[in-house]
Formats: sequence, structure tokens, C-alpha cells
Amino acid sequence: METRDSADPIDSSEAGSGPETGEPPVDREAIRQRLDRVDDPELNRSIVELQYVESIDVDGGDVTVTFVLPTAWCSPAFAWMMATGIRDEVGALPGVSSVTVRLPDHMHGDEITTGVNRGRSFESVFEDADDGIDAVRRKLDEKARFARQYGAMRALQEAGLDPAQIATLTRGDVDLEFGADVAAVSVRGGALTVTADREPLAEYLAKARETGVVTDATDRLFADRDGDPLDPTGETVEDVLHDARLATSNIEGQATICASLHESRNDVTLD
Amino acid sequence: MYTHNGEDVFVIDGHVHLWDASKENIVHEGGEQFIQCFYDYHTGFTPEEEQWDMETYRKYGSERMVRDLFRDGHVDMGIFQPTYLTDFYDEGFNTTDQNAELAEVYPERFVLNGSFDPRDGDEGIEHLERLKDEYDIQGVKLYTAEWRGDSKGWRLDSEESFRFLEKCAELGIENIHPHKGPTIRPLNRDAFDVADVDDAATSFPELNFVVEHVGFPRLDDFCHIATQETNVYGGLAVAAPFAQNRPRKFAEMMGELLFWVGEDNLLFGSDYAIWEPDWLIPAVMNAELTPEERAEYGVELSPEVKRKFMGENAARLYDIDIEEKKRQFRDDEISREFGLGDDYSEASAD
Repeated sequence: METRDSADPIDSSEAGSGPETGEPPVDREAIRQRLDRVDDPELNRSIVELQYVESIDVDGGDVTVTFVLPTAWCSPAFAWMMATGIRDEVGALPGVSSVTVRLPDHMHGDEITTGVNRGRSFESVFEDADDGIDAVRRKLDEKARFARQYGAMRALQEAGLDPAQIATLTRGDVDLEFGADVAAVSVRGGALTVTADREPLAEYLAKARETGVVTDATDRLFADRDGDPLDPTGETVEDVLHDARLATSNIEGQATICASLHESRNDVTLD
Repeated sequence: MYTHNGEDVFVIDGHVHLWDASKENIVHEGGEQFIQCFYDYHTGFTPEEEQWDMETYRKYGSERMVRDLFRDGHVDMGIFQPTYLTDFYDEGFNTTDQNAELAEVYPERFVLNGSFDPRDGDEGIEHLERLKDEYDIQGVKLYTAEWRGDSKGWRLDSEESFRFLEKCAELGIENIHPHKGPTIRPLNRDAFDVADVDDAATSFPELNFVVEHVGFPRLDDFCHIATQETNVYGGLAVAAPFAQNRPRKFAEMMGELLFWVGEDNLLFGSDYAIWEPDWLIPAVMNAELTPEERAEYGVELSPEVKRKFMGENAARLYDIDIEEKKRQFRDDEISREFGLGDDYSEASAD
């Protein structure tokens, strides 16, 4: 399931209304909240934030979501991931009996939505695709994890940690529950606790967990591009910081291209 | 010639086209999709008042091109990068032979590049030899993702491609410009993967590989290759227009490129007629890094650095003597036609 592993996930029991029939069973805000968890896998941002969702139509338990992409030639694999994400997220809401995904103005829009709405696999619809959809997703998630690491490492630098401390931190050293905006970070074997900006750490950890890089309390917090642990000598940490920044610049650069095309073609305005 | 803070900047636009996407020339729906896609890039990054209508955009002609580049666009020389697409366009979209009609009128102002496709086999080798023989080409533009029959692309590091690269080395065609970058419908994205440049660049140290569009959406992969291989360059077409509508993003990207690729290995290109140099060049020349960016990347986006990627680097790759060119342009046909001779006089700022 292609969902956004939000640091603050929306519990499906809170969203939507009860299973009674007769009354409008699903509320649009609940649908939007579910859609917000679906990411553009390349740009690492929510499709709601990117203004891809064109319309949500609710007819009893039947929901139709129409989304548009910046170009008609966006990768079919990426479009597929977003379409299945929409289907699965909205379909998980109580009271939803069917989800229909529409993707107008895309070169493979019909193939993608027919396939996704019928629950077929990407590989059966696009037989000549080089990589399976899971492999493509995996590659993008690894890039997204590494890009988010830049923000997390910078937050720790700003909190005063030195490169060796940053390199050797483990998951157990970070307490995201410390405050609404601040995380507590334990250094020098617990002799000292410092606070750091919470958001970049939380966003990074969500992706690090999802990609299996950080799952246990004893796991090192950071890794290089390939997922290998960092050398605690300062020079390597500096190299990894540059490399992670490059991963961020790549995603943001591509997002700039997509946003300009999206604005021009679909008449939306993004910041 | 462009003047920046009183200093002359000799501009070699490393990426220009003269295309024909008129309806009469389109023979496959891919041809229409291709030009529509180009048009989206045009409108997406062009100031509203500078946007062209679609009819003009389909086929603008050589007279307009000459005015847009040299009279209005501050460009001193342009490098033609052909895009054959003969499966989509009856006469081709933007072939070397089409470009030659203009380049041969003003040979002192244009560099004419060729192209090859290893899937053409012996016939392709003969084509390359003919281009060298007829036009003395020094470079080739390559579309690894171009469709050909059932094939959706080819790799630069394949055996067939190496045969062509060997031929290039033998003929003295030193500058290889693979288009790696934004997906162009209906070309396949995966065939624009940059990884194949690495092996080719290592195997042919005598050739220069100018990765067009700096590899987007794989800027990171491109930077990793370019930082290791001294004969790998980045073409700034597509990146440059960020300077107009996302100036902060452009500066950051230049910080990355200067850090990883280096100031001697970047080449400006407008991608004309996708974008026009008259508004693009000032936007790029006015870009600046913040003190934080300078500290983080340890690089400068100084006038000297800009002069390099605006012309000096391309001049090095294409054996262009800029001072000699300035003397020549005091009284060449273009300067006479547009009254530009004084721009190149000794008295001009230098």
C-alpha cells in the first residue's frame, strides 16, 4: 500500500462516520485526510499538498476521486502508485463501499485507472515495464529517506551536536514525545540531553522506519546513501551531509519542474 | 555580447534548435505529443508576456531565430543540437541537414552538431561519416530514449554504442551530448537513466560527455558521475530557466553543480526555442548565492564563474578562440545586419 507514513497518523476509527446507512455515510474531510497520506513518490510530498486532487464525489458509499498530474507523460509507474494509494486509503474508511479513481489527461490514464479500479497488478497492465512496481517504489523511498536525513542532521547540528555524536546516535537516543515542537536527544551516553527541532527528525524517522533502516532502539539513527552506518570521524559525516543535501536538491529541483508544468497546464498555484 | 556590470560576457549558447513541428510534417501522433510537451515546458518557465502562440512555436523559421539569438538575445554564437525524431516527423524534427541551411549562411556564428543512433548499424556509421565529411561536425547530440520501431531506447554503454563512439574518436568528433533529463512524452523515462554515461566516459577519456539537462530527475546520480570523471560536463538547459521563476532554487542548484561538477565543466544553453536568451541570460547572470550557501558549498557564483559557463567552457570544447571571434564579429554579416559591430570593438569594456 502506497501510503504516507505520517509521524502523526490518522486513526481510521476517528475519521468518517459510523456504519449506519441512510445518512451520508462518509464525510469529505475524512476522505481528504486519507488522501493527504498518499504521496507523489518522486517528489516525496502529499498529493493534497501538491494540488493533484481535482474532485471528490460521494454518492452514498461510492466514492470517486479524480486526480490530475503536472504532465500527461508523468511516469505510469508513479501514477499507478498514487492511484493505488488513493484506492486503498479511501477504501479503508468506514462506510466506503467502493472507490473509483479517475486520471484524466494522462497518456496512460485509462490503462492505469481501469487496472487500479479492477485490482489488477501493474506488471499485468504494463508488460514491458523494466522494473516491477515494488522495486521502483523501493528506490524512490530510499532516496526520500536519504533526502529527509539532511533536515534531521541539520537540526542536530543546530542543536549543538558534533559530527561524531551525530554519527553514533541510535534511535533510542531520540525522544520524539518530549514536546510538541521539540525532540529530546540524549548524548554522551545519557550524561546530557539536548533539545532539537522535532519536525525534521519525525519526518526522517517515519521514512527510516518504512525503509527498514531504523527499526530498533539500538539501530544507528543515520546511514549513508546506500543505507550503511556512518563512520564517526567528522570528515565522513560532512560528506554524507553534502550527499544528503544533493538528494534534497534533486527532489526539490524536480518538484520545481513539476510545479511549473502543473501551474501552466492545470492552472493551480503552488508555493 | 552581454554586458554585466560593465563587463563583457561572450555568450556561446550551447543548446539551440531550429525545428519544424508544422502539422504537415507530423506523421505519427508522437510528433504532436512531443511538440505539445515542449510547449508545456515553454509556458511553464516563460514570463507570461514573453510566451509564444502555438502556431509560431510549431515553426518559427530561420529569420526569427537569427533575430532572437543575435539581435535581441545577447548571444554571440550558438551550438545546434539536432533532434531527428524521423519516426514522428516526415522530414525530421530538427536534423543536422535542416540546421545546416542556416548554419552555412552564418558559419562563423554557429556550431553544427550531428547525431547518431547505434540501432542504425552500418548505415548509421555511414551517416556519421557523411556528416563529418560534409559539415566537419565536432559534436553529436544523442537521444538514448528515442523510439525506433519496437525499441524504446538504447544505452550509451552498449557494444553497438561503443562502435559509434570509437568512430567519433577516430573522426575527431569529440563532444558527445546525451540528452539525460526530463522525460519527454512519448520517450521512455528509464532510457534517460544517467548510469550508462559513467562507463562510456571511463572508456573514452579522449571524448567529452556533456550531459544535457544535468540529468534531472537524476541530478544526484549525474553529480556523482561528474565528480569522478573529468570528461563529464553538465549542460544547463532546463536548469537555467529556474533563474526566472524560481531564482532561489536556481542559486541552490548552481551551488550543488559548482560543488560537485565544478566551474570548468558547466555549459549554458537556452534550449531555444523552448526558452529565449533575451530574458533568460539576464536572469542567469543576476543569480547570486547567499552567504550561507557560499559557506555550505564552499563555492562562488562570481562573474568569472559565470563567464566560464556562459561561453569560455564551450569555447574550450569546440576550439573557439574568443578573442579571435570578437575581432571577426566587428564586421561580420550578422553585426552589419543588426548594427552590432561596436559591441566587439577594442574600446568596448573588456
